[in-house]
Amino acid sequence: MRKAKGQNISITILILLAALMLNLWLILAMDYTANFDRYHTKLNAEHVTLALDDADGEVRTFLNEELEKDHAVTEFLLDPCLHMTGGMSYNGGEVSSWFVFFEKETALTRSVGRAEIVEEGDCTSGVYLPMLYKTEDIDIGKTIDLKIGSHVVTYTVCGFFNSVMAGSHNCVIMEVILTDDKYKELETLGYAPKGTLCSVRLNDSADSLNFEASLKSRVSEKFSDIVMVSNCYGIVSQSRYISQMICSGVLSAMAFIILLIALVVIASNIMNYIQTNMKNLGALKAIGYTSKQLISTLLLQFTGLTLLVSMIGAALSYALLPALNQMMIAQTGIPYAIHFLPLPFFLSLGILCGAVTLVVWYAAGRIKKIEAITALRSGVQTHNFKCNHIALEKTKAPLHLALALKTTLSSMKHNVTICITMLVLSLVVVFSGLMIQNMILDMSSFLNLIVGEMADSCINVQVEAEDQFLNEMTQDDRVEKVYLFTSINISHADGAELLASVCNDFSLLNNQNVVFEGRFPKYDNEIALAAKYAKEHNMRIGDEITIKGNGKQETYLICGYTQLSNNLGRDCLLTREGYEKLGSLTNTSYYINLADGADIDAFNLDIKESLGSDVVNTTINIEATVEGSAKVYVMLMTIIVIAILVLSAIVIVFVLYLLVRTMLNHKMRDYGILKALGFTTGQLILQTALSFMPTVILSTVVGLFVSSLVINPLTAVFLNGIGVVKCTFTVPVGFNIAAGIGLVGFTFAAACLLSLKIRKIAPRELLCGE
Amino acid sequence: MKDILLKTEKLSKSFSNGGVMQHVLKNIDVNLYKGDFTVIMGASGAGKSTLMYALSGMDKPTLGTITFGDETISDLDSDGLAVFRRNHCGFVFQQIYLIDSMSVMDNVLAAGLLVNKDKKALCANAEALFAAVDISKETQKKFPTQLSGGEAQRVGIVRALINHPEILFADEPTGALNSKTGLDVLDTLTKFNEMGQSVVMVTHDMSSARRGNRILYLKDGTILGECDLGKYTPGDKKRHETLSQFLCDMGW
Repeated sequence: MRKAKGQNISITILILLAALMLNLWLILAMDYTANFDRYHTKLNAEHVTLALDDADGEVRTFLNEELEKDHAVTEFLLDPCLHMTGGMSYNGGEVSSWFVFFEKETALTRSVGRAEIVEEGDCTSGVYLPMLYKTEDIDIGKTIDLKIGSHVVTYTVCGFFNSVMAGSHNCVIMEVILTDDKYKELETLGYAPKGTLCSVRLNDSADSLNFEASLKSRVSEKFSDIVMVSNCYGIVSQSRYISQMICSGVLSAMAFIILLIALVVIASNIMNYIQTNMKNLGALKAIGYTSKQLISTLLLQFTGLTLLVSMIGAALSYALLPALNQMMIAQTGIPYAIHFLPLPFFLSLGILCGAVTLVVWYAAGRIKKIEAITALRSGVQTHNFKCNHIALEKTKAPLHLALALKTTLSSMKHNVTICITMLVLSLVVVFSGLMIQNMILDMSSFLNLIVGEMADSCINVQVEAEDQFLNEMTQDDRVEKVYLFTSINISHADGAELLASVCNDFSLLNNQNVVFEGRFPKYDNEIALAAKYAKEHNMRIGDEITIKGNGKQETYLICGYTQLSNNLGRDCLLTREGYEKLGSLTNTSYYINLADGADIDAFNLDIKESLGSDVVNTTINIEATVEGSAKVYVMLMTIIVIAILVLSAIVIVFVLYLLVRTMLNHKMRDYGILKALGFTTGQLILQTALSFMPTVILSTVVGLFVSSLVINPLTAVFLNGIGVVKCTFTVPVGFNIAAGIGLVGFTFAAACLLSLKIRKIAPRELLCGE
Repeated sequence: MKDILLKTEKLSKSFSNGGVMQHVLKNIDVNLYKGDFTVIMGASGAGKSTLMYALSGMDKPTLGTITFGDETISDLDSDGLAVFRRNHCGFVFQQIYLIDSMSVMDNVLAAGLLVNKDKKALCANAEALFAAVDISKETQKKFPTQLSGGEAQRVGIVRALINHPEILFADEPTGALNSKTGLDVLDTLTKFNEMGQSVVMVTHDMSSARRGNRILYLKDGTILGECDLGKYTPGDKKRHETLSQFLCDMGW
């Protein structure tokens, strides 16, 4: 072990990185989601939340009666609130959500769905916001403009709170706590209608989606035109953990990639060890050692090293966890107290030690075949005489290239190690390129996948004033395109609640990839259904589906599959006529494309001023809204991509270090001879580096090509949890080619640098005598 | 008057051994002449091999100069020395040192192609040299581990001569061979020397040393004496007596 110091350092670092990432992944995967449940229990949070208009308390009475007799319900609470769509500036963009305003005392003392203050100042009059929104601009003592419907109200930020089911714009409903005076002031202003917030805890959280749909259905049967928004445990628990899911997915992939490379390197080293120590092993066998004893020595060496290093790596992961935790909290909005987790720790050790033990056992198996006599006589011949690769007499290749190719063709184990490393790294590079292209540089593909339809502005107008609004739009030179695109909750008769996107003409959508199989609905009896939901319910294009809404029930023909993922794969598309078979629209959202260079905020303001609040309910700058929410993902992905690329570089260096070191040890004598014959150090370094290049180039080209083909399906598998079935990310061919050249160039440079040890080989050591 | 090939002035070489300096070569002034078969002899530890490392550009002296023509090779860096070796020197080692992963022909061409880019001419030269040392076409395709010791050393000689070196350095070339094959190798070296090839050989063996026309005897890092034996003739008894007397005088 002492002799193979360099080898052990390289394997140590690879195992250390694998253990570090494996433990981080397991912590994220196992405990972050559990953290949601811990807070859910701590704050006795609801499984279903319903915010609805209720000026006179009639709905509250109805809900009280309904929930009292429902056996699925364990606990519920009905509290008065104010609610309205709204928005605010955040992260350089805007967030919009459905605001539910609570008076502070009520919010903090609710028996179900309580909020918890996590930070507050001395201010006694103002607003408390979910802790997710604490930024440089939004902080205690600073003022914030809240857009409530079409009004803007300025509040002083008094503090931040944590709410499990309404603590983020990802929750559909966003709780805003006002001090008593400000709550009364808003009530008097009448910017947000009076309503009821219904918080329900169920016997079984798994029923939350269906219960939400059934409760909404019961309410809309009783109150046909009521405005209500809702969320449920199933959707919120997933949507608040998207970044955690992405991050843990990437970490797990990287951990296993590095582990795979470490295993290949270990196997290669053991085989080399056996080859170079054939005589010693033969001698040990001759004096009575059994194969098992010799293999056990190797097992003890590598498994012991892995156990020790894995413990250090897993422990080191706790040093990185605070930074990762900050990134996660920026998206989840739920505090996470870092603590030691024995299960992920020991699981990491188990996975690594188990994998290393298996590989060592397999690779060391060759010891069993060593015959003591053969090994002692001359070792086992390692060169086969069947073929003289690249005969110098016949080849047209330049001398150094020819000698490098000879080395390449006689080092098949090295080639396999390099091949696996480069294939894996090519996949990593292609994934990085995909993320850089589609998330960091130009988010449109990612947003099309996650958000679905994007436009410049969204204006919600009263249905009665639609003609007036459309007339105004046709007269405005800035407007390039305007189309109805409004979201309404409906229910699948035998299943869950679905978010229907209603459009008057789907051919006007900017994102024509929303339907990725079949086609958009054209007629009033057609529906395009989320592929994930259709698959879960064994429904295909051409099948019929019964939809309920507003107390009515209609059957539609499935004409296509969608993958809008903002409702985690529970979406559908309906034509306006199709939806109106269930009931009429109460308000309509129009998406607007503006001419290049038009100021979206100025346009929204102009429309609001010229048409007034009788026509326009709300205006949203979609670009700014999405940008605000997306910044967290961009930041996260940038860090992931940088980490991936740095790790790739480290992996290449360590793998090459091991290979070059092994090669130099094997060829020390040959290098000495060549030096004595007049080869310079530079020529030998070039030959060594070149000998890796055929395999590096070939596996990189194949790796990049294959990875480019499979990266979209692989990413779709990765994002399947949020409803994505088919990815159509742009594969950046230019980047991939440049990255491939970079990868090969970097490998060549690293191989040259690592081969500098050749300088120390002195030809005079060949001469003997004296 | 013979042409000088290599010339040393105050050549010294010292090694640090556990903090103690060992002066292996001390102020050696010697000329090597074109066409000579120079033999370096001496007891173990006398500095024979160290002198040969320095003369052949395998190693740099601690002090003093070595001049090859107009070029002071003692000033060259390791790459400069490599270029010097490839262009002007050929080496025959005691342990032969053929590269096991290359065929016999490739071993020779790997050295040849480093200097001569004309592969056709090089192959023709290799063929001629192989013929001269009695290495068949079949053997040229073999790998070194498939050769006998004598065959391998003859291939080593062909490799050493492929670039038409000005000097052929041979370090105990028969040391690892039996007497019959050792004799073949010495015959080969003698034959090439007769054809004008300058040879410098380090040896312990008196019968090998007899092949040289000039014997340098080293003792304690200095050239204690030198003997001119004249042109080698097989079975020359006087030559043997002269050499014996010389070695006896030197305390051999």
